Amino acid sequence: MSEERTIELLIGPQHPSSGHMRLYAEVDGDIVVRLKPNIGYVHRTVEKLAETKKYIQIIPLVERPSLADAANHNLGYVLALEKLLGVEAPPRAQYLRTILAEMNRIHSHFYGLGIHGIMLGSSTVFMWGFADREIMIEMAQRLTGARLTYSYIIPGGVRRDLPLGFEEEMEKALRYIERRLEDYGKIFLRNPVTRARLEGVGVLKKEDAIRLGIVGPNLRASGVPYDVRKVQPYCAYPEIEFDVAVREEGDSMARVLVRVEEIRQSMRIIRQALKKIPDGPILAENYLKMIPPKWKEFMEKKGRVKFPAIMVNLRPPKGEAFSRVEAARGELVYYIISDGGTTPYRFRMVTPSFRNVVLFEHLIRECRVADIPAIYGSLDYFPPEADR
Amino acid sequence: MSLSDLLKLILDLLFSPWLFVPLIFPGLITVFLLILFIIWFERKIAAKVQLRYGPLYVLKQLGGAIQLVADLLRYLFAEPIVPEQTDKLAFVLGPIFLFAVSYIPSITIPVSSSFYAIRSDIGLLISLGLLTFGPAIVLVIGWASNNKFSLIGGLREGYLTMAYEIPLFISALSMAALYGTMDLVEMVEAQSGWTWGIILNPLAAITFLILSFMSTSRFPFEIVEAESEIVMGPFTEYSGILYGLTMGASYVKFYVLCLLFSIMFLGGWQPVPSFLSWSPVLPGVILLIKSLVIMVFGVFLRSVYPRYRIDQALKMGWHMILPLSIGSVFLSLGLIVLGVVP
Repeated sequence: MSEERTIELLIGPQHPSSGHMRLYAEVDGDIVVRLKPNIGYVHRTVEKLAETKKYIQIIPLVERPSLADAANHNLGYVLALEKLLGVEAPPRAQYLRTILAEMNRIHSHFYGLGIHGIMLGSSTVFMWGFADREIMIEMAQRLTGARLTYSYIIPGGVRRDLPLGFEEEMEKALRYIERRLEDYGKIFLRNPVTRARLEGVGVLKKEDAIRLGIVGPNLRASGVPYDVRKVQPYCAYPEIEFDVAVREEGDSMARVLVRVEEIRQSMRIIRQALKKIPDGPILAENYLKMIPPKWKEFMEKKGRVKFPAIMVNLRPPKGEAFSRVEAARGELVYYIISDGGTTPYRFRMVTPSFRNVVLFEHLIRECRVADIPAIYGSLDYFPPEADR
Repeated sequence: MSLSDLLKLILDLLFSPWLFVPLIFPGLITVFLLILFIIWFERKIAAKVQLRYGPLYVLKQLGGAIQLVADLLRYLFAEPIVPEQTDKLAFVLGPIFLFAVSYIPSITIPVSSSFYAIRSDIGLLISLGLLTFGPAIVLVIGWASNNKFSLIGGLREGYLTMAYEIPLFISALSMAALYGTMDLVEMVEAQSGWTWGIILNPLAAITFLILSFMSTSRFPFEIVEAESEIVMGPFTEYSGILYGLTMGASYVKFYVLCLLFSIMFLGGWQPVPSFLSWSPVLPGVILLIKSLVIMVFGVFLRSVYPRYRIDQALKMGWHMILPLSIGSVFLSLGLIVLGVVP
């Protein structure tokens, strides 16, 4: 006992800032010698459950792991499923998908910023972040009818058309967010205390980021301009102009600033998409023709899809499909093997948080105890998403 | 003895400074009322900044002003759990002593030039000296709780005490040197005619203010109880009224430091018209208002700043504030040599 130099600190799962996970920290005085994340507390067997569910039922299932980022998870799954089915959504649906995905990205980044704020002790940023994410929740509600888990994107299209006056409301919302970002800059991003806490803390070098397979804003903050929206564009992204936010420093501050810049880029994308959005149907032609005429009339009048009966028992042909999208926290990969039945034979889902969890062990080393929440927050790690 | 005589005796006793100062102002009753007010205000102003309502439903007409009374009742009736593995005596007595030693220095504060409980040549040293007991008890609490987070929190308090106490004493003593006395009453008398300490020696005022924030865990120095790092620091294992006492203690200490700040730097009960100076009421109110302004400023910082890391706070204490406070001594000496103050 007397020869022990370090104490083992168990942070979580019942700790104010651990999230649904446990961190084993070995602490020598105030220095963290080693830290091991212990994940799996919110494992929900999404992959195995998906093998027992019909294809259309998997949509609500894949949304659940990441509530703040539901649309991107939904989109990734549907893109893989569409590849299996061999259908493609009409252009208007592609634009609507893009708009919802970017709204979700803004929502998710505000959520992450708020959590990071309270981890550093700034309750103001916590409250602001959670209040301003409400804007995008409200707008998503107008578009999809739901606040968090939209199940908006379905094979071959989307469930609803743009509501009346959505463009003007969205413009108002975006202007409000622009104004708010200035306030965030004043109270958090340029605050001397925040900068002292984040600058030079948890530096992720470029080569390490590539070697460890990091994705998303964490990778881009280390100077690697990798973004699936540019590398392998999907939906309406090829037709839309936007920049990939990149910073060279690789520290916690850079990761925060990359996310803030991504909020600005997302707003740019939404504005362009709303301007460029073409007229036309919101469901693929081969599904549209299966809808009975009475329902079709209703659909055209209300702009809401009545599900054609075939959706209940979708039977993709034998084969496999792979899709990737840029979710708010990074690259999200779906892989489906179909044996021709109504449920997938194998369903694989690789979430960005799971690929970033290695950073805990890599970055939180030889730093202070107080840096644990500072780095944790900057990674925007979301335990349910990683555990699936 | 008739009833009126008895009543007069009781009133005389109650309004004698030896009883009035410890019990009513600036002592116990004011302390409790002020805690109730300042915590409510802290939550309310933070809510204002953070776009929410804050406490509202307890006495809605006054914006939830007595929310803290409800909280206090809840603390009183909650079961104070004493965990098995703790050092029980130290665990239970710790918060009580902590609150007591935070409150005791308030009895050394004079209310007016003729109304005080204790007057001594070294009044300033007595009140500052009494304030230094608190951190030792926090260390004991952290050790007795038998919890790793409590231990780390207690040690953080220990380290911070080293960093803030020395410059705190130095900047206070620079004012003593300036006025040529350590008697709190004489210090206030020396500031008559608007020659307040904050104008004469702003360096000492700034350092004293920052250090009183540091010593009472105000933001951005809320390091000992840092919630996202070490849960609640030394007070992690506490519940019920014992926790309430630990939380109140830092506010009481802050209150005493603010009283001292107003006496040393803001002219205490000055300026009070000479025809009213026989009564302690107006001087007391002026002193209270001045301290309240400082407290309000201190609690407002919660909604502005995140918290520093402990090494950054220590570095700030030793590398920046200690030289500044030594500089304030030289500023005082310079003012004396130049003959600005008599």
